[in-house]
Amino acid sequence: MPSVRLMDYEPIVGHQTTEELYLLAESLKGRRVKMVNSTAVGGGVAEILHRLVPLLDELGIQTQWEVIKGGEDFFVVTKKIHNALHGEPIPFPSRMKEIFLEVSRENLRNTDLDQDMIIIHDPQPLIYIEAKDCTSAKWVWRCHIDISNPDEEVWNFLKGYVEQFDAALFSSPRFSKGLPIPQFLFFPSIDPLSDKNKDLEPEFIDETLERFQIPKDKPIITQISRFDRLKDPIGVIKAYRMAKRYVDCRLVLAGGGASDDPEGEAVINEVRAEAKEDPDIHILLLPPTSSLEINALQRGSTIILQKSIREGFGLTVSEALWKKKPVIGSAVGGIPAQIIPNLTGALVYSIEGTAYQIRYLLSHPDIAKKLGEYGHEYVKEEFLITRKIRRYLLLFHALSHPGERVINL
Amino acid sequence: MEINPFYFYTSSNLVELTGEKADNLEELVALLKRCTGSAIFYHVFQSYRDRHFVIEQYHSDFAQWISTSLNEEPLAERLGSLDIRDFTSIRSLRESTIKIIEEYAHKYPQSKNRQGKTPFFFCQSVSVVMPTHYIAWNLEDFYQVIGKIGIRSIHYHLIEARLRLGIHTNDFSYWFRDSLKKEKLAHRIEGIDIYLHTLEEIRKKILHHIEEEMKA
Repeated sequence: MPSVRLMDYEPIVGHQTTEELYLLAESLKGRRVKMVNSTAVGGGVAEILHRLVPLLDELGIQTQWEVIKGGEDFFVVTKKIHNALHGEPIPFPSRMKEIFLEVSRENLRNTDLDQDMIIIHDPQPLIYIEAKDCTSAKWVWRCHIDISNPDEEVWNFLKGYVEQFDAALFSSPRFSKGLPIPQFLFFPSIDPLSDKNKDLEPEFIDETLERFQIPKDKPIITQISRFDRLKDPIGVIKAYRMAKRYVDCRLVLAGGGASDDPEGEAVINEVRAEAKEDPDIHILLLPPTSSLEINALQRGSTIILQKSIREGFGLTVSEALWKKKPVIGSAVGGIPAQIIPNLTGALVYSIEGTAYQIRYLLSHPDIAKKLGEYGHEYVKEEFLITRKIRRYLLLFHALSHPGERVINL
Repeated sequence: MEINPFYFYTSSNLVELTGEKADNLEELVALLKRCTGSAIFYHVFQSYRDRHFVIEQYHSDFAQWISTSLNEEPLAERLGSLDIRDFTSIRSLRESTIKIIEEYAHKYPQSKNRQGKTPFFFCQSVSVVMPTHYIAWNLEDFYQVIGKIGIRSIHYHLIEARLRLGIHTNDFSYWFRDSLKKEKLAHRIEGIDIYLHTLEEIRKKILHHIEEEMKA
């Protein structure tokens, strides 16, 4: 990932925004922050930390990023804990707890915690909080997961640790849990300079569509998602068919998930069967390195769908809105935070609703255009990395003034 | 005559989750009675700032939720018509909001427990207020700064100021009147309809009124 500086974002967000970031950071200069997560590559958290850490550094906040180390058994356990927090019931024998605790404590022994603020991302490094009393730092748990309905046994085990933090950060009010510590809203963010979101030449977009053999003769409806039943690809095809009775269009279903996921392969077979060799349905299996292609597919589409049955935050919605595309999304997970109905997109609850919105937006391109434009502005305000930096700076001030509602700098 | 300069401030807020939610009008009223003033302030004034680029039907999150989730449009309209220019304290705003909802629920008892499509999550905010590098000593300086300052600063001085100062005006008008003795300009700025314009449009209106004043 090429390094960027804050000034590179100025043409996108405006001088006023970056100027305010420098102002907010002024009295925080010299503070030391440590971010701890479980992976340096792959996944949204690592992707955003790669950008965030140097940008906070540039603002004078000395930011270190540490990745917790562990063997396969540790990550098998943490994966199960992750799924349990999402609501999947799992057996949680004492051996699993032992592995989780032992590996975390081993990591702790080799960690310098001489910082002012320590941000622990997700459950994997949660046990680091055991060192809290040996430090003068403020401790924050950044939870990227929806823990509103977790497996009770796993949550009861973790809760005692979570409650020792000075604050917790959640991606949506829906994702949080009743906790005796302050909880703040931290939306995930997209990077407008990344391959997935940066501006593209129209020629590249056309070439990409040609490469995937998607003619531009009809409006293109696209859902970018891994092939997973929770993303409801079958429902998407049904909605497309209902809409196509009235408005001619093409459907693109693009994503990964087949090579390393047996269930994914089964889902692709179901999708192919449902598509019934309809020449206007394009099913694309993309490798994980397809950021530019996904960007081009989104930009080349008329409407973007995110018709999930369950969803994490669903940042693909923000990615599409950033490209000024009208988005039709299900009212699940973090999607309602991104789609304000009839303002930044269309929020739907059923296959029928999705079909109706496709018909409506294809028949009213002026309204579709307006939704996309407002969506772009809303993403600029709430879901860009510059907003994330602002939230972190505000958090650092709030941690320095606990209990204060108005902090005068 | 010695003139006090105008110091431009700006504010940003961190949204705090209270863990409280309402699924119907009865629960909304119960929470409105016991939530912090900061929660009322956030849902009526601050969340709107994050959608400053568009003119919505309702600025208040409460009215918006009652309209889109409960479909109680007449109530949403009544709440949406509460003009923040009529209030100088959160207490009075809270009381008026509760009174309107309770009157409606009394008139239409079936509305009280009707479940919304989505819950209303109560949030509150931690505001960080800080001085900018901009200072105006006279109207010309002020004009230059308004043209380039962030919209958060305009929101802070024009909209949030009322409740901070507890008076029926805003920081800009207060300075025009008190320091520059420009009553007409102060009055014109007070007359800007903040509900019908985006913050960028409001910036243009302020600039226009100052231009008119400088021409006079």
